[in-house]
Amino acid sequence: MSSRERVLAALNHRQPDCVPVDFGGTAVTGMHVSCVAALREYYGLEKRPVKVHEPYQMLGLIEDDLMEALDLDVVGVFPRKTLFGFPNRNWRSWRMPDGLDVLAPEDFRTAVDENGDTLIYPEGDVNAAPSGRMPKDGYFFDTIVRQQPIDEERLNPEDNLEEFTPVSDEDLDYYCRAVREATGTGRAVIANFGGTGLGDIALVPAPFLKRPRGIRDITEWYISTRTRRDYIHRIFSRQCEIAIANLEKIHAAIGDGVDAVFICGTDFGTQTSAFCSVDTFRDLYFPYYRKLNGWIHQHTRWKTFKHSCGSVERFIPSFIEAGFDILNPVQCSAAGMDPIHLKNDFGDRLAFWGGGVDTQRVLPFGSPAEVREQVLQRCEIFAQQGGFVFNSTHNVQAKTPVKNIVAMIEAVREFSGRN
Amino acid sequence: MSELHDAILEGDAKAAVVAAEQALQAGADPLDLVQSHMVPAMDEVGRRFECEEYFVPELLLAARAMKGALALIRPRLAAGGAEPSARVVIGTVKGDLHDIGKNIVASMLEGGGFEVIDLGADVPPEKFVAAVKEKSADLVCLSALLTVTMLSMKTTIEALRAAGVREQVKVLVGGAPVTQHFADQIGADGYGENAAAAVRLARRLVAAA
Repeated sequence: MSSRERVLAALNHRQPDCVPVDFGGTAVTGMHVSCVAALREYYGLEKRPVKVHEPYQMLGLIEDDLMEALDLDVVGVFPRKTLFGFPNRNWRSWRMPDGLDVLAPEDFRTAVDENGDTLIYPEGDVNAAPSGRMPKDGYFFDTIVRQQPIDEERLNPEDNLEEFTPVSDEDLDYYCRAVREATGTGRAVIANFGGTGLGDIALVPAPFLKRPRGIRDITEWYISTRTRRDYIHRIFSRQCEIAIANLEKIHAAIGDGVDAVFICGTDFGTQTSAFCSVDTFRDLYFPYYRKLNGWIHQHTRWKTFKHSCGSVERFIPSFIEAGFDILNPVQCSAAGMDPIHLKNDFGDRLAFWGGGVDTQRVLPFGSPAEVREQVLQRCEIFAQQGGFVFNSTHNVQAKTPVKNIVAMIEAVREFSGRN
Repeated sequence: MSELHDAILEGDAKAAVVAAEQALQAGADPLDLVQSHMVPAMDEVGRRFECEEYFVPELLLAARAMKGALALIRPRLAAGGAEPSARVVIGTVKGDLHDIGKNIVASMLEGGGFEVIDLGADVPPEKFVAAVKEKSADLVCLSALLTVTMLSMKTTIEALRAAGVREQVKVLVGGAPVTQHFADQIGADGYGENAAAAVRLARRLVAAA
């Protein structure tokens, strides 16, 4: 089977020849730039600084030579602009706080404040207020909340819709090019066209906008899901209309070259509980997810991908009913997320893209033997009858020992009989 | 229960402030307002959270209502010389900017009758040490969301030890990647898997001290 056939078999719940693997296909299935650099060195690949293609979580671009070395089956198509609102182009050197030399796009403009923290600017505009902060000696950025004072009487959902705009001709050209290149690799293609995430808390503060309006504070947003529900409904409703019109244009331009689309990264689970009740989910999110997924399934062959960290077992029947085909990151360390239960009860209707190894304890802190053992166990459970794309539970975090990442990759090969 | 109690439980900040104002004007004892109305309200919020009648938005709303009322009541408490049940220094550890979980725990502790000194996020070990010394804290609560910053909890505990104040405080840890096993490994006195559990644990440790 080709990589693409392997992934499609898995997503269609047929047994592929071996377990398909993704690292780097999305912004939630990647690796920290330092891990990508360590892997390049481990496999003896050409020495060159790694590109930071997702600056918020500082994810490293996994280029074709490393994809070959890791036997990866998926390639990603990302939005034209990063989370900080600038495009990935004209790469130049940048030094991480720990001294690692990487490549960053030209508009990755930073400054160091009086505490030694690194600040980053929306659209690379150093005259705007910074929208991200990496602590001194840190590895990732976090958003800086820029909340204007809220006047209840003048709250207007349009203010929270500033970032949802009709897809431009420039975007369409970019997607056509990017999808053509991606399909040319023979790997399965997962695309994130943006605009379909409903209240994703990483996007609410709008780190890509210079002067965000509306409700942009994280606490205020969570509170609003309870106290200003009508306001949120109006945002989601309009956002969906814009997204579907955009998907229509994008689909007309690129066709079915894409195999899966990243829809939404809103987290509904915490480590031990949930961010909201199932009733709230059904009222506030479900109708819009169903509309988005419904349009996609009616008009395309794309599979739809839902990311939600944490304990989400209670939401899975609703995810399926809303038309999601794929769940990620499958956080088995969270309450109620027992892998055998998930596979037995939902595995015929939902593909699990993740859950291959725990990134909170085993991968960063365990021994290579522990990593191998868990990877083999998870593959044994999830890979039956397809429905599984191997990925760690969320991005491989900074400081994860390279020997553990290699142990993970080798264990997948061992399970598939590819070593 | 009282209007103040119900307003906090319902997360109605305006009503909580009005109820606190009216109670104070009517001559209510500020310490009694806290102990007999606000603490039970926040305990009930914690109970509802643990049995999943309440979720994060409801916790945040209740905390906001509680803080609004407490801002009115606190000056009267201080004037009356009332002492809090214990003093807690809380913060997200060095290198970590995530503070929503920490803020919820801080509010629940405050609503539980503790005096809370919130050092914010990305707090270096020496700042925890200085706050413990300056405020004569009884408890230190450390929060982390990232695997790369969990180890800052260990260095913070080591810094408390090196400064000779480790024995005068109990150290509680929490946050998504933190477990009881990790808490034991780094020599913390306790681990709370959610805000309500943290308050229970804090009370138990203070009572045992």
